[in-house]
Amino acid sequence: MNISAPVLTAAAARVIDAVKVYGVDDTEVRALDGVSVDFPAARFTAIMGPSGSGKSTLMHCAAGLDSLTSGGAYIGDTELSGLDDRRLTLLRRDRIGFVFQAFNLLPTLTVAENITLPMDLAGARPDPEWLETLIDVVGLRDRLHHRPSELSGGQQQRVAVARAFAGQPDVVFADEPTGNLDSRSGEEVLNLLGRTVREMGRTVVMVTHDPVAAAHADEVIFLADGRLVDRMQNPTADSVLDRMKSLDVQEARKP
Amino acid sequence: MSATSASLRISASSLRAHKRRFAGTFFAVLLGVSFLAGTLVMGDTLRSAFDTMFGRATSGTDAVVRSADAITTPGESFGTREPVSAALAEKVAGIDGVAAAQPDIQGRGLLLGSDGKPIGGQGPPTLAGNWIADPQLNAYQLAEGRAPKSHGEAVINRGAAKTGDLKIGDSTVVRTPDPLKIKIVGISEFGGEDGMGQTTFTGLTRADASKYLVPKADEAASIQVRAGPGVSQQELVDALKPVLPKGVEAVTGQEITEESQEQISGQFLSMFTMMLLVFAGIALLVATFSIHNTFAIVVAQRTRENALLRALGATRRQVVGQTMVEAVAVAVVASAAGVVGGIGIAAGLGALFPAVGFPFPEGDLVIKWLSLVLPFVVGLVVCVASALHPAVRAGRTAPLAALRETAVESAGASRTRMIVGTVLALAGVALTVYGAASGPSVMLTSTGAVATLAAFVVMGPVAAAYAIRTLGAPLRRVTGRLAKQNALRSPKRTAATATALMIGVAVVSLFTVFASSLQTTMNQTVSRSFAGDVAIQASGFGAGPNGLSPKLAPAVAELPEVDSALGLGKGVARIDGSGRELTVTDPARMPDVLDLGTVEGSLDGLGTTGVAVSEGEADKRGYRPGSTAEFTFTDGTKERFTVRAVYAEDGIAGDYVVTRAAWQPHQLQDSDTVVAVGFKDGVSEADGKAAVEGVAKDYGNPEVQTRDEYADSAAAGMDIMLTLVYALLALAILIALLGIANTLTLAVHERTRELGLLRAVGQTRAQLRAMVRWESLLVAAFGTAGGLGLGAFLGWALVKASDSAGTGAFSVPPVQLTVVALVGLLAGALAGWRPARRAARLDVLRAIATE
Repeated sequence: MNISAPVLTAAAARVIDAVKVYGVDDTEVRALDGVSVDFPAARFTAIMGPSGSGKSTLMHCAAGLDSLTSGGAYIGDTELSGLDDRRLTLLRRDRIGFVFQAFNLLPTLTVAENITLPMDLAGARPDPEWLETLIDVVGLRDRLHHRPSELSGGQQQRVAVARAFAGQPDVVFADEPTGNLDSRSGEEVLNLLGRTVREMGRTVVMVTHDPVAAAHADEVIFLADGRLVDRMQNPTADSVLDRMKSLDVQEARKP
Repeated sequence: MSATSASLRISASSLRAHKRRFAGTFFAVLLGVSFLAGTLVMGDTLRSAFDTMFGRATSGTDAVVRSADAITTPGESFGTREPVSAALAEKVAGIDGVAAAQPDIQGRGLLLGSDGKPIGGQGPPTLAGNWIADPQLNAYQLAEGRAPKSHGEAVINRGAAKTGDLKIGDSTVVRTPDPLKIKIVGISEFGGEDGMGQTTFTGLTRADASKYLVPKADEAASIQVRAGPGVSQQELVDALKPVLPKGVEAVTGQEITEESQEQISGQFLSMFTMMLLVFAGIALLVATFSIHNTFAIVVAQRTRENALLRALGATRRQVVGQTMVEAVAVAVVASAAGVVGGIGIAAGLGALFPAVGFPFPEGDLVIKWLSLVLPFVVGLVVCVASALHPAVRAGRTAPLAALRETAVESAGASRTRMIVGTVLALAGVALTVYGAASGPSVMLTSTGAVATLAAFVVMGPVAAAYAIRTLGAPLRRVTGRLAKQNALRSPKRTAATATALMIGVAVVSLFTVFASSLQTTMNQTVSRSFAGDVAIQASGFGAGPNGLSPKLAPAVAELPEVDSALGLGKGVARIDGSGRELTVTDPARMPDVLDLGTVEGSLDGLGTTGVAVSEGEADKRGYRPGSTAEFTFTDGTKERFTVRAVYAEDGIAGDYVVTRAAWQPHQLQDSDTVVAVGFKDGVSEADGKAAVEGVAKDYGNPEVQTRDEYADSAAAGMDIMLTLVYALLALAILIALLGIANTLTLAVHERTRELGLLRAVGQTRAQLRAMVRWESLLVAAFGTAGGLGLGAFLGWALVKASDSAGTGAFSVPPVQLTVVALVGLLAGALAGWRPARRAARLDVLRAIATE
């Protein structure tokens, strides 16, 4: 069932000395303050950190949704800061998949249409074999012609996952994909993400604040105050929780 | 803080926050009100300008002596009066209390410019008369030069001099209709202006006027009298009465002024203003849909906000009040701006009309209170009434809705709507067709038309879904498909948006079809009844053609190429009590150049007491060959005429034909209106036309038209009318366009997150813009298609219903309707422009993050 196994050592996405500053002078906020991190291919990476640590900003900048103030963001070997809006859009369409916290689907399109949307926008034909496999993996074969409003929240997120992987992108970014789900549906979605990495060799980067969710990843990186503070291989919910607690303590001790 | 002020405060902050949402409403009200106010102001301005003009023309005249009897024919309101003796002036001048008396010898005189082309003649009258020596009795005053003294000298008004590039010392020709060579010795002005509106006036010596303008010497249209010092107008009239011959009356200058004013203001202007008001009404109706739609969407988008207010303890009335306060605020500001805009429109139109050749006098803007208050109130009522229904719906918002996911109104067509719509449509169409086909009855058809229109509005949401699917079927690419899905999302909203455009397009198509059918009918009638090869026609319509010399027809007949040439003139008589136009010609020769259809009886030997009558008129009044009719002429003589023939085709011949001999004793100014010419066998159209033109040159160079040109010219006036109608209806289309743009802007706002998602997963800006524009285009296409269908149907009904004779043609002009369709689609494309750009500028991150 292993479709393709990318070279394990290559980074699917990375940022180098990433700095993101919002506002000017007095109101200046350094959301990212010199972060350098690789997101290796065929790995499931979780980004964690307290509120305001810059984890969402890191993901947005790495995925070409936002631009860095300084430093570089790469998808494969492509430097994002050199791209105009159109090229960025095409890059997102062709090489990146997205799963957002909520509102992932267009209400006017059916499940099947939602899944193939990025390819339809590109005017490209999806690989039918891959698509069939994907539909079976997310388990939505009997729902293909339904509208999103006829699905449960968990089902909607699974459609979003299918949409994100449909074009076989270099990397899939997931922003709190389970934030709006009950724990059982959330578990399903996380398992799904995990399977695509381990069984199909895809690359996933997930932002979350939930240690249980982070435990599904191969590696967790911790951010605080816009800086990379730690990395943890093969995390468990408990180890992640402990690390987060110590980060909170450090936060509290700050002047 | 009181409850009311809380509600007011919320409204105010909401208005400030959502300025853009109300921009469409603002402009819809503004345009409608502007148009209404503009129409009223312009109506008053024109009325006052005409009044001033007539007042000026007759200000020095204290009394007018003229024939008491005026014969008016249908379609002509001034009436025709028998001339009085010019010598009466001298007799009147000797009466006590009379300071001066001058005959007014008037006729038609078409002046030729320095390039040999007629000056005017396309509407405003072209007049000639004796130059009245008494400056107070003369409506014109000398601006330069001197009064005409000897034969061939003339004074022309400054407007004519400017247009025709003529100056003192120039020689030219005035067609009376016999061409008279004149030398210009003076330039006149009219109360300081270039002339009486666009009317041209050539002043001749009294001797020339007597000789050329009236058939008999010593004839004058009237005698103008000025009172001596201390004599009132009424005293003057009383003094005149005893000396006047039978059938001649004296009226005060005041009455003459009022008569003229009544004729222009009362009839022409009222009709003109009424027409403009109808268009203002259409514009406001279209605006109503746009405004209602805007408020409906705003209320729908605000469901959560309103629910929160309700949950926090706002009463239903406060929620309703909040929306109404917004409506009133927008209405007040927009209506006030509209009134100001209306004054601007009136000023603009005042400048535009003379430029396109409408004979309106100039004058300062007349702004009455009513012209300001009425449009303001109408704007207020339209806006507030349109917002009422959405406001009440806002009041019904359940507090629980705050907790639910926002459901943007997505209701499809209800069952009731289907039933009501279907019943209305069936009844409307049935009534319209019945009224048009049998009877015909304009009343029934109009009722049916209104019902049909209502059915279209009610059925809109039902039709929208089908129509958008059908129209959107060719859109297979993802962008087009998304646009189609968006348009289908709320059929109600799509329909309401499209309805505004539909009404605009329907009215335009209706006028187009109606005008085209009339043109075809006129064209067919003329080409059916004209059996000749070319026609010589005096130019001009509206104020009446200027006439051709009666010598032209015999001169043309002399040509070797010509088989026969027949002149047709016009006369007037009261026949069995009602005024009618007569065709004066040689009836026996009519069949040579005219096709009269079936003729019952004989056209030969009508003599001085015989008349030929058209079949339509004979049927109406019960004439048969052999029956008699009493003719009363302007000179008061009554004669009994015998109907000798009844003919079918009245296209050129008119309803009554008499011989020249019969008309001669009663004629006013001897002229033909058209000369019909038939060539000998073997003469080509080009050769024959050239030969005829050669002769016509000596008779003031009237236009020589081929069969087709002649037929087309019959309906030429319609084109100008249609252009005006189109210009006015462009406003309705503009308002509809604003409505579409507004709905789309609101929809874009509402779909911020969706658009953000689309952009995130790879929709380019160009694709996003195209998507919004396609949606706009689909909505416009729906409105345009509905409007074209409705307009064509109602046009057909109107043509049939107004055609009691059943001889009218129905014609759907493909070119014009295609243009209308393209304009509708273009409106859609334009309407989508700004919303599309706004949508494309959206920041992807912000869109995703929007709560």
